[in-house]
Formats: sequence, structure tokens, C-alpha cells
Amino acid sequence: MTTSFEAEALGSLDSLYRTALRLTHSRADAEDLVQDTYLRAFRSAAQFTPGTNLRAWLFTILHNASRNRARDRARDHIDVDSEAVERAAETMSTGIDPAATPESLLLNDTLTPDLQAAIDALPPAFREAVWLRDVEEFSYAEIADMLQVPSGTVMSRISRGRRLLFERLHHLRPAHV
Amino acid sequence: MSDCKTIDPLITPYVDGDIDAAGRTAVDTHVGACPPCHSRVSAERAVRDLVRTRRGDVAADAAPDALRARCTALGAAAAMSPGASTGARGVTGERAFAGARAVTGTRGFRRAIKPLAIAAGVVLAAGGVFVYQATDRSTRLLAAELAADHVKCFGVVNSLLGTDANAAAVEQVMSDVFGWQMHVPEPTGEGLELIGARPCLYARGKAAHLMYRHHGQPLSVFMLPQLARPGKRDETVEVLGHEAAVWSKDGRTFVLVAREPQAEMQRVVSVVQQSLH
Repeated sequence: MTTSFEAEALGSLDSLYRTALRLTHSRADAEDLVQDTYLRAFRSAAQFTPGTNLRAWLFTILHNASRNRARDRARDHIDVDSEAVERAAETMSTGIDPAATPESLLLNDTLTPDLQAAIDALPPAFREAVWLRDVEEFSYAEIADMLQVPSGTVMSRISRGRRLLFERLHHLRPAHV
Repeated sequence: MSDCKTIDPLITPYVDGDIDAAGRTAVDTHVGACPPCHSRVSAERAVRDLVRTRRGDVAADAAPDALRARCTALGAAAAMSPGASTGARGVTGERAFAGARAVTGTRGFRRAIKPLAIAAGVVLAAGGVFVYQATDRSTRLLAAELAADHVKCFGVVNSLLGTDANAAAVEQVMSDVFGWQMHVPEPTGEGLELIGARPCLYARGKAAHLMYRHHGQPLSVFMLPQLARPGKRDETVEVLGHEAAVWSKDGRTFVLVAREPQAEMQRVVSVVQQSLH
């Protein structure tokens, strides 16, 4: 019934939906965004270059749609300006106590719900970068394309996101022994 | 040896293994002698490993069945539309936006007619289960989406249909499909000529698309049922090189899309407003 293009595109439905959930924090909005993404993707299928990464292309459409919506809804200025994000990051604490317990224990001690909550609590720009890199496993260049920022900015957002996660999870550990 | 400031931006690509040999050596050398940077690398690596190890649990949400069904219907409709079939994608996308006529031979059109009819059926069937949630859609986005549909549908119709659609037949279809008792504007001296109508998929709902020529130029009237736009006023916006007039009446929203001078636009909008309810 569907051609292989449509079928292959629909194969990314779950991961697009999960990412949309992280972006919107609302199931209804996430569903909306994903449906909008597929509508746009099927309409502009001719612009997809066969042989390139269809999943990355769909994620780029998802992020464009999400940005358009944010812009569209904005009564006030919505700050997606990367410079402002970087400046905000400078004022955040990113210091890590070198005398802390061994980092490797983090892996064993962290409960999944705590990890989920810590990811959700990250500032949006950092959450997005870490999510696309570590959960969806895109390359820096692919993420740069989706977020429309330079690769260097992607790396620094991933870096700051991970450090904030470390701090958060580290403090959640039952005992600092 | 490099200082911490030059090493810092290399830590993330180092941890990800996405760094050249020179960079790797620089980080290796530095962290061997700098406990704070060593600690940063360990911390970042611990988080990266943690997230990647748990990615199956963290990303456990599956798309709801209803969403899957709707997106699959979109895919089916796209696969069956003439624009998507056998490489003849000329009527959709940028080429249609640029106003280019579809470059397909007569045989191509003939083959395309049947899939179009099927696609319209699929779109309607899929459309029936959607409910509008229009509160968060701005007038501008609405107008832009419909202007795109206007361009696209005329791209298809120019190739498929002649002129002279039957007004009575269109009224019958609108009544059957949308429960909309309407009267197609009479062509009395207004230079308005009905050339067709079809159900159109718009976002989460079905919309009626009436296609006219106004002094030979394509003009579309969209009717979106169950869309009241509370608190939003009637307005005309310029999108995709077209003018779109948007108004609501009795729980329906109408969007007229055309490429007309402003005065002419107002005139034709008022003609349509008087004849469509």
C-alpha cells in the first residue's frame, strides 16, 4: 500500500514521538508535532535525497516544525538564540569536586526514574543536545543541522548538559561515602 | 603542555571518541597531569555511559496506536497521490510552489486520475476520526498550510480536470460529506468560475476545498468544519506569495486564497461571503 519511502519513514515513529515528548512535555502536543512532521515529510518527499539518512531528515523536519510552533505561539520573545544559551550556561555551576566518590559508581547507583527526571530538568537546549546524541545517537553534524547551530555549539551543549546531569545525579546518591 | 582552557572544548569529542589523533594525544597528555580535568573527563564519561546504557529504559514511550494510525493514513494517501507515484513527483513541493506546471505526459495524467480518486477517499476516511484542536494554531499558520494546498491542488487539477464543474453536484457532495448546506457562488458577472471541489486533508481534520478561476486566475475557498477560532478576528495575511483571507462564521472557518490586488481581493471575498454560509 505504501511505497518503501513512506514505510521506512514510518519506522521512525516511536523515536520521533519520544523526542517530541521531550520537546513539548505534553502527550497531546507531541502527537500533534509528530503528525505535522509526517505531513510535511510526505509533502516534501521529493526533496529527500535517496541514500542519505532518512531518520536524520525526519528529525530535522520535527525540529523545524517545533521551532515554527514556538515562534508562532510566542507572545513574548522566545529565546532560542544560542549565544544567550551559552551565556546562561556560564552563570551555572559546572564545577565538579575532584574529591568526590568515584564516577564509575554513578552507573550502578542511579535509578532510571531519577535519570529520567534529571534529563527532563535540564535546560531545554542542553536536554535536546544530550538526548539527540546519547539516546538517539546522531552525529554532531546531524544534530547541528537539526538545531541550526554550529557543531561547536552542539558539542558545548552536550558537554554542559552532561556535566549538569552528573551534578544532579551525584547529589541524589544515597550517601557520599 | 596545553592549558585547561584549550583542553576543555576537546573533552566532549574525546569522551565520544569523535576526535582526531592530535586532539586525543593532547587530552591524554593533559589529563595525565591535571586531576581536575581528569575528573571532568571521568564525570562526563560516567554520564554518557549511564545514559547510553539506560537508553532503552529512558526512551521507553511508544507512539500511541491512534497516532500510528493517523500517520500511516497520511503515508498511504501520499503514496497514492499522483505526485508521489512512480517518480512523477513534479506537482508537489518546490516546483508547485514556484508555479511551474507539472511536467508529465498525457499518459501520466491518465494513469494519475484513478489514484487521485482513491487518495481522496482515503483522506476522507482518515479525516473522519480527527478532531480539531485549533486553539493553538495561529491564523498565519493556517493560511500558510492552506495556501500550500491551494498551489498543490491546482497543480493537480490543472493537469486532470477541465473547467465547468457542476455546481449542483458540488453542493450535493458538500451536503453529503460535510453536512454543509451551501450554494456555490453564481458566476454572474463576477468573473468567478467553479472548476472543482475536493475534500482536502488539513492537519488534523478534513476540509472542503472549492476551486475557482477568477478572471482566469486560480482562487481557492477552503471550508474547515468545527473550527470556530474563538477570540480571533477576521483578517487577511500574505503567505507564500498569495493573499489569504480568513473568517469564521457559525462554527466554521473559511479561508480564501488567491493572488489578487488588495482591492480586488476584498471585492471577491465579500462576494464569496455573501453566497457561502
